[in-house]
Amino acid sequence: MKKVLSLLLCIALCFTMLVGCGGTTNGDKDSDTKAETQAETQAETQAAETKEADVATEADVETEADNGIDMSETVKIGVLVADVTTAEALAFRSYYTQYIQNQYNVEFVYSDALKDSADEKSAIDTFITNNCKAIISFSSFDRMAQIDQCAKAKVYYAVATGTLTDEEYEKVKTNEYYVGAIGPSLDIEYQTGYDMAKYYLDKGVKNFAIFGGAVPYYTDMHIYRVAGMLAAMADATGADYQGAKGPAIVGKIYETADVKTGSIGDVNILGYVGGYDMDDAWFGKIAEVAQTSGLEMILAVGNGSDFFGTAVNGTDVKIASVDAYADSYGAAMDAGILDYMAGKFSASIGPIFAITYSAALGAPIRDNDGNAVALGQGYWVATSPEQFKEYYSVDNSLDAPAYDKADLDTLIGSDYATLEKFVAAYTFDEIK
Amino acid sequence: MKTNAKKSIMNLAPVFGLIVLVAAFLIVGHMKGINISYGLKSVINQSVVVAVVATGAVFIYTLGSFDISLGASVAVSAILGGMVYIKTGNLLLMFATCIGVAVLVALTNSVLASIFNLPVFVTTIAMLSVLNAMVLLLIGINGTGSEISVPSDAVAHLDNIPFKVAVLALYILACVFIFNFTPIGRKEKFLGGNPLCAQLTGISIKKYSIIAFIISGIGVGLGAFLSIVYAPTLTRSTASSVGMDVIIAIVFGGMPVSGGARSKIYAALIGAFSMTFLSQIMTLFNLNSGIGQIVKAAIFILVVFIAASNHRQKELPR
Repeated sequence: MKKVLSLLLCIALCFTMLVGCGGTTNGDKDSDTKAETQAETQAETQAAETKEADVATEADVETEADNGIDMSETVKIGVLVADVTTAEALAFRSYYTQYIQNQYNVEFVYSDALKDSADEKSAIDTFITNNCKAIISFSSFDRMAQIDQCAKAKVYYAVATGTLTDEEYEKVKTNEYYVGAIGPSLDIEYQTGYDMAKYYLDKGVKNFAIFGGAVPYYTDMHIYRVAGMLAAMADATGADYQGAKGPAIVGKIYETADVKTGSIGDVNILGYVGGYDMDDAWFGKIAEVAQTSGLEMILAVGNGSDFFGTAVNGTDVKIASVDAYADSYGAAMDAGILDYMAGKFSASIGPIFAITYSAALGAPIRDNDGNAVALGQGYWVATSPEQFKEYYSVDNSLDAPAYDKADLDTLIGSDYATLEKFVAAYTFDEIK
Repeated sequence: MKTNAKKSIMNLAPVFGLIVLVAAFLIVGHMKGINISYGLKSVINQSVVVAVVATGAVFIYTLGSFDISLGASVAVSAILGGMVYIKTGNLLLMFATCIGVAVLVALTNSVLASIFNLPVFVTTIAMLSVLNAMVLLLIGINGTGSEISVPSDAVAHLDNIPFKVAVLALYILACVFIFNFTPIGRKEKFLGGNPLCAQLTGISIKKYSIIAFIISGIGVGLGAFLSIVYAPTLTRSTASSVGMDVIIAIVFGGMPVSGGARSKIYAALIGAFSMTFLSQIMTLFNLNSGIGQIVKAAIFILVVFIAASNHRQKELPR
């Protein structure tokens, strides 16, 4: 009897879960909305916006673009995401599933967290099985294999928030199923690091520590950001880093996947932490670096206040970081811990959606030579809590995001010149 | 009679579970208009590595032990295999390296356990750390340091369903034969069920644990080779989920974690495919990953509950 009872309870548990989670497509949208809203633990303002966005039904969605493109058929778009839990990833997901999905006749199918290229391949297989017409990728374990797999299945593929290397681009630029990439190029990453360091060098800061993030794993964007920081120090002092100056520093970092502490002229790098080991020893190292005597500034390629915030709280040490406009960074700014934020804005992935959707609707946008799109797009930089709040409120709005439907409509079925001009005007002031 | 029928049904619960999942996939898939034939190919592609590795691991589980380092062993074998291919351009040599390294790792595990007279799983915990460190070192000393890439053209002709199914079928047939029709399988079940009694009858636990690890090592090597064929770009995260997937597949397939006479060689195959079908169904409902994981966990518990209810509280004291 006891066994039967426990079995029934177990079945009931599964049934209620499935009932709660299943349903129609609209139901899926709702559950997505709720789960993500909880995960982000955003403020009430966002909850209110979410509610409004949920009200939108498919009846609101246009079935024909102004330029006559037929949008009556629902287009499924797969989204490859390596890390599904970061503030940045959640903000991007929110923009697609809570805003774009309610404005256009599209359905986003998200991958689970991806750990390697095999996971990427499996996720793409699953998207193709689910009749996705296009895939937008935030995952970069093996871009070339992803593009090859999509092309074989005649599925459009686009890179979000990043770009291919020149060598990779040369290989795939004429592939009709490779839509392109819009995001911070490696040059922009380098410049972002450079500008961050220069901001403090100009203020007379001399003693720095650096958080290198995924530099030990040879992650290009983090290497370029760090190289930019070091190049700014070298330029400011007329000295060099390990015998290199300017962009040549990139090569120096690739040699060792490490950053040497020491002096660049009269500027000191007092500490360096790399990797994401997240174990006791690693957090110990973080605390040790943060409490280094004389330290003034921590320059982080990402997650700066997440990792160093507690250690520097109550000291005069400030943090500058690259990441996204998330709630936690706003709190760190208010607390005087985070002093500089170069953040991606969530709607920055709007243009890549527009050109991917456009391609799926039969109106691909190619450059003047017929090649795939490759456009750079930078960050919004906030250096005060007020500025952060201003950017954050726009970035997290589902009523009037930085790129709303009216903006994106101008791109669907447009030409390369229009797209190029649109993407180039990415700063907060230009958009608003 | 009624008890026997109930026992048989309970024993086959994981098989029924798989049938239900396949049916659900086909029905829901049909309703949602998915590409079912592509989906089935995708299921095979996603299951084959775990199925091969888990089938070999059944020999270890039968002894009442487990190997936590299987995923890391797949990674190291694949990376070394990939490096050999890059140096030699010889596919056969790459295959031999994958198998050789995996068997060597397995042998090290079991021999160390014998020398130090430790439970085997203890040495596999230590081996996990060593192998993870090796992955980082091997990736670090090669090329850019971020990845090892076997040219995709080199293995593209093997990246097809007939080849993968053939490898899986051959290995499983060999394992079924050894497990069910040779003294090795019988003695391992005996050792898993009652090690003291088995040893008193003259069965060497060390010898059979070494044999179990060698068979498992061959599975790991095949898994490594198939991993390269599927995704030729190897990084520090390659096969990082295989270790956990193998454990889940074996339990999901109805294998008793205590090993012994109720061990089933087909459990790995059933479990690996059930997991993949379940994931596919979750995707059909477009559940976000968090909710999908919870639903999967609930279904997992349900299947294991039904499979285990047949023999719960009937274990010999161990």
